[in-house]
Amino acid sequence: MIVASSLVDYFAALALKGTENNNRQKIFLYGSIFWNLGVLFLFKYYNFFIDEFALLFNMQEGEYAFSTLNLILPVGLSFYTFQTMSYTIDVFKKRIEPTRNLLNFLCFVSFFPQLVAGPIEKASNLLPQFSNKRSFDSAQVKEGLRQILWGLFKKMVIADNAAYIVNMVYASPEDYGSLSLLYASVLFFFQIYGDFSGYSDIAIGTAKLFGFRLSKNFNIPYLAKSVTAFWQRWHITLTRWFTDYVYFPIIQKNLRSNIRRNIAVFLTMGLIGLWHGADWTFVIFGGFQGLLIIVERTPLSTNRKSSLYHKALIPDFMVPVLSLIFITLSCLLFRSQNIDELWIILKRITSFIPSESLASLIDKRFLLCVVIMITLEVLTRFKDFPLVQLDNYINRPTRWLLYYFFIFIIFLYAGPKEDFIYFQF
Amino acid sequence: MQGPKKTLSIFSFSETQLRFLKYCAVFFIPVIIVYAVLELLVLDLPINYKFYGNHLNTHSKEIEVMALGSSQVKCGFNPALSNKSAINFASTSQHHNEDFNILKGTIDRFPKLKTVVLEVSSNHLELPHHANDYWKNSIYLKYYNVNAFERPTWAKDKLIFLSNTRFFSHKLMNFYFYKTDNSELNEFGFDTNNYDGAFKKLNYDENEIANHKFKIITREDLSIFKKNTAYLFEMMDYLEKQNLNVIIINVPIYKTYAHKRNPNIVHRRDSVLNVIKNKYSNVILLNKETDTVQFAVRDFLNENHLNPDGAKKFTALVNRKLDSLN
Repeated sequence: MIVASSLVDYFAALALKGTENNNRQKIFLYGSIFWNLGVLFLFKYYNFFIDEFALLFNMQEGEYAFSTLNLILPVGLSFYTFQTMSYTIDVFKKRIEPTRNLLNFLCFVSFFPQLVAGPIEKASNLLPQFSNKRSFDSAQVKEGLRQILWGLFKKMVIADNAAYIVNMVYASPEDYGSLSLLYASVLFFFQIYGDFSGYSDIAIGTAKLFGFRLSKNFNIPYLAKSVTAFWQRWHITLTRWFTDYVYFPIIQKNLRSNIRRNIAVFLTMGLIGLWHGADWTFVIFGGFQGLLIIVERTPLSTNRKSSLYHKALIPDFMVPVLSLIFITLSCLLFRSQNIDELWIILKRITSFIPSESLASLIDKRFLLCVVIMITLEVLTRFKDFPLVQLDNYINRPTRWLLYYFFIFIIFLYAGPKEDFIYFQF
Repeated sequence: MQGPKKTLSIFSFSETQLRFLKYCAVFFIPVIIVYAVLELLVLDLPINYKFYGNHLNTHSKEIEVMALGSSQVKCGFNPALSNKSAINFASTSQHHNEDFNILKGTIDRFPKLKTVVLEVSSNHLELPHHANDYWKNSIYLKYYNVNAFERPTWAKDKLIFLSNTRFFSHKLMNFYFYKTDNSELNEFGFDTNNYDGAFKKLNYDENEIANHKFKIITREDLSIFKKNTAYLFEMMDYLEKQNLNVIIINVPIYKTYAHKRNPNIVHRRDSVLNVIKNKYSNVILLNKETDTVQFAVRDFLNENHLNPDGAKKFTALVNRKLDSLN
């Protein structure tokens, strides 16, 4: 699939360049988009739509002409499809020149550190790097290794330990009280953050070892002062992709129309939700984010301030907390297997059921590791990651002690092995 | 600035690269040494898997009975008290897919094997099986030489500490540092000193125990039920083809636990066991889950595990079933 998708976009881009006829160019562009979205639909969404269609008309299996397919989702499909699709669109929009070097293009699509879970790179950033001459740069390699170490800490210590508790609670939410469920939901935020941003750090660090620079994918999202800001800090490359290729094309014809803008926000966020998986929980997740962003952007008639974060109502320091509450609520949608489970969890959380098992879920050493992560990230918030450029202000023995400390923490407190969450997308 | 190349081979390095590699080697040598020490310390820990593995290697030619199951069977069946030469492969959270892998992976080493004692608790049919990369697969590979990964194995698959660093760090600290590990494993890997549970802490006071909170999973899942039941039937077919007798056991649980179980799950499990009993002539059932006559509060470690006294009674019941098969 990856070779087929790459070849389709490689030749589509060359064909776009080869003709001046706008209609022909559109045929090549739409052909490429049709192929990419078709593959994505077939592997990721076909069964979902067939099942929902059957459910809508109350049909049993065998009563409808289309049967569900038993296909294995190719690893990283959502990531490389978006990457190749953006390449063709950028060539069509004349933002970049198409490459004639097939090997470079195949390397760009299948670049292993970011193939399975991003960051989703634009061709204009990554593709030229394959043509550049690279030489060994020990400073960059050291940065890469440090970023990998930081990523491993977030994945193995934060995410995997959080997963241990979250999986236990969500395996049987009917057996846990309100506070336990709430605690597990907050932990799920840190699980997914540690998991995905940890992966991104490992990917970016690995790319640095080979002399490549990948885009930053996370920027301390828990400090976001609004849901809009959150999405500018979380999975940045995905948000940017949808902003460039979905949101802007919708609003560009009438920039002043608030209704058009709100529809664009809702649609973009709904699609971001659907990108994560074929389930209503993801669609609602995206729609919920879209609604929150629309509410945030809607000014109050009296003083033109945001209706959600009206400064007179909410003190400044509470704004990130409020955002985090909304994000945690969204995490419920993300983690629940289906709407029924989501409903059970929401009902139990809001019913104030006593949480007898809460104490057994709290692991102080793990929470200390979360505090270490947050403290270091907040203290170094203007840098790419906390261990960056340590050479500039710490001598070698101290640096090595710090590295050993993190390796020791990973050895001692790494949680049970868990797959990367975003591998499934 | 890069220095001149040393050689013209693909391993030719510049001065900068060589210096960097040297630093890497110096940095990582202590890490590798520390890991090696941790691995050796873990291998030296007295854990039940090691004893199971030793027993498997030394007595496989004599063994007639193999017990499989979760921690309930681990705590409830003592092979030392069995009438027949037995081995107990049960371990905490071990599910049917692990049981089946162990069975298939070791059966050729047991020429005299006649009976398999298999646990089908109320949780077995509605809890998902573990994935192929479950951490205990490393244990099975290392100690039983059983490949449960369902793929070719690599050297790292046999590294025990790496398989679950959190679990083994905890074990290491308890054994070497805090010295709180008071288990006394017999040659079969059964802990004969396994009394320090919740019930002992509550002085076996039934009123206190009635108010004691414990963890229980009551979630129903019909899709998992269907999948796990099909898997169980696959196991039964295999056991029948191998001409092995099967004793399906339900280990006693304390009454507070029994009351909190989801009746739908229990009912579905019992229905499946009935079908199995009627379909397979090589299967007999030993359901002692709610036996409050023979098993009193002092036989329990906690709500759903027996202590060695309870295990003694339960093993005697298994013995009776084993005798009835002859």
